[in-house]
Amino acid sequence: MNKNKEKLLAKRYSSEKRFQFLGKSAIFMALLFLAFFIFKIFSTGYTAFQKTWLIVPVNFDAETMYLDTNPSKEDLEDADYFEISLQSMFNLDKNANEKQQNELKKMVSYFFEREIKQELINDPSLLGKTKDIYITASDDLDQVFKGNYPRDLPEKQRRVTDYQLKIFDQLVEQGKVESKFNLSFFTYPDSREAELAGIASSFMGSIFSILVCLAIAFPVAVLAAIYLEEFAPKNRFTDFIEVNINNLAAVPSIVFGLLGLGILLAVFQLPRSTPLVGGITLSLMTLPTIIIACRASLKAVPPSIREAALAMGASRMQTTMHHTVPLSMPGTLSGTIIGLAQALGETAPLILIGMVAFVNTIPGSPMDPAASLPVQIYIWAESAERGFVEKVSACIMVLLGFLIVMNLFAQIIRHKFEKKWS
Amino acid sequence: MKKNGVNMIKISAKNVDVFYGKKQALFNINLEIEENQVTALIGPSGCGKSTFLRCLNRMNDVIDICNVQGEIVINDFNINDKGCDVVRLREKIGMVFQKPNPFPKTLYENISYGPTIHGMAQSKQEMDEIVETSLKKAALWEEVKDRLHEPGTGLSGGQQQRLCIARAISVQPEVILMDEPCSALDPIATAQIEELIDELKKEHTIIIVTHSMAQAARVSQNTGFFHLGELIEHGSTDKIFKNPENNKTQDYITGRFG
Repeated sequence: MNKNKEKLLAKRYSSEKRFQFLGKSAIFMALLFLAFFIFKIFSTGYTAFQKTWLIVPVNFDAETMYLDTNPSKEDLEDADYFEISLQSMFNLDKNANEKQQNELKKMVSYFFEREIKQELINDPSLLGKTKDIYITASDDLDQVFKGNYPRDLPEKQRRVTDYQLKIFDQLVEQGKVESKFNLSFFTYPDSREAELAGIASSFMGSIFSILVCLAIAFPVAVLAAIYLEEFAPKNRFTDFIEVNINNLAAVPSIVFGLLGLGILLAVFQLPRSTPLVGGITLSLMTLPTIIIACRASLKAVPPSIREAALAMGASRMQTTMHHTVPLSMPGTLSGTIIGLAQALGETAPLILIGMVAFVNTIPGSPMDPAASLPVQIYIWAESAERGFVEKVSACIMVLLGFLIVMNLFAQIIRHKFEKKWS
Repeated sequence: MKKNGVNMIKISAKNVDVFYGKKQALFNINLEIEENQVTALIGPSGCGKSTFLRCLNRMNDVIDICNVQGEIVINDFNINDKGCDVVRLREKIGMVFQKPNPFPKTLYENISYGPTIHGMAQSKQEMDEIVETSLKKAALWEEVKDRLHEPGTGLSGGQQQRLCIARAISVQPEVILMDEPCSALDPIATAQIEELIDELKKEHTIIIVTHSMAQAARVSQNTGFFHLGELIEHGSTDKIFKNPENNKTQDYITGRFG
């Protein structure tokens, strides 16, 4: 009898140990995956925050640009920069043949003449002089400089020719290649050229979508939650509504995209590819999340507070607005932020309503076409150029940073403002 | 408020039945409550004394399935009438709950809430006065006068309960209902509240539900004994405790059950 008891006790202890071990290894696995994921993104993405520039002497020859010696601002704007830009590239190798000249041209960004133009407009006194100008290197050379490009491939399989590599290496030796912080990644809209592509349009698109989503989802959801929780009679009909709100939260997001496509675009003829439509579609998705969070935090307000207010002669409306709702706000707000964070990371519905279109302007309002950060990731991940690989990771980093800040904010609201009930 | 040596009747309940859904909780209660006296309602758990108390300011309205029948007449007016406005009723009939439930706001806001929603103060100064007199009447003023703008939830249990009493009397109710106001308090805090109740009865009619027979004996002038949803016996506290008519009352008082 006693021996049996001992055995049983040992069994109970060992089963607890086993359980603890399993739990710990589960957590370890999860952390391992997370660490791998973050390491992968950072190691491929961090180079995107640097950009490679070639320092090329440019001769601002007035004659070649068809300019007077003392041109007005308009003249500078209208002048022909193509010839001097081309010439300054050709000057890197004076013996180049026609084919090699073409390759020289492709060593720098597609829009390099704009950079040269901007330099002269900023400082018109350069006219007639020669100055070393920073010109954005082509995305392929950018990758070469960052060490992401395999040089040992046969030339035919490379986008960078042997000749370009030779000239580039010469420039590196002369100290004419520099890596600087890639500001354009944050200030430029999307581009077909990896070296010029930035997240400005998708970032603004995401912000506008979230704002539209918040403006619609928050008031509707909070009103619905307050009515359901505080005023609606508890009967089969309200039970039915509650079940369906919970169902709505589980609907796959692409279905909301179809709804946006079928109703907002087809019936209401709202402008395609805009954060307005994106925000409305996302708000449908966020609605149940906020309703559920708001109802939960209304439920968490102890009934004794309601009774106290009612017994003082407050009407139901006063009880709700003066006491219950303010007390439930921290929970509601943090639920809202979490709902918005979900919406921020949503891709599928936005693709359906056309926010996947190539947008190379920065939206100034929710009515302008825009992309959004997760869709931008999707677009870049589809691109073949090597230059976009690091951009994908960098964009993921920005999106993750955004999400972390939002979640942190939600946590702070919850901890700082939530009343503790003893 | 005596008329010919007899206390005036403030509240009279006639044939009150209460149902929770299909279950009947109170059976044909007839009880008269005298003005400016303390009436204690005693009885074992689940006997319906709190339910009866909550009928008096219609707090049972909050419970969907609760159904109150019969007449409860206060100031010649049946509060179960359709025409009765619960907001006005609860202004006249204050309530103090079992567990102290101050609003999670400052002490000042706790007291000023009632007068604010009922528009009782025209100026900040008047409101300050109401807050001060209410706290003084609740014997809390001296302890908290320097921290009126600190949260009410930071007080001790006994102080919180006195704050709730101050909040209840801030709107000058005619009647104060107390639902086991001392059950969450220690003996010292309980003694303070009991002293307070004695003081308050000069201006208010008080009905107190209590589990403690000693407390009923100490604070009340009249006592009603409830058992299984029925009012078994009521009368002056002296009589109920010393010379009860009913055997069940006798058994309960002497501690044979309950």
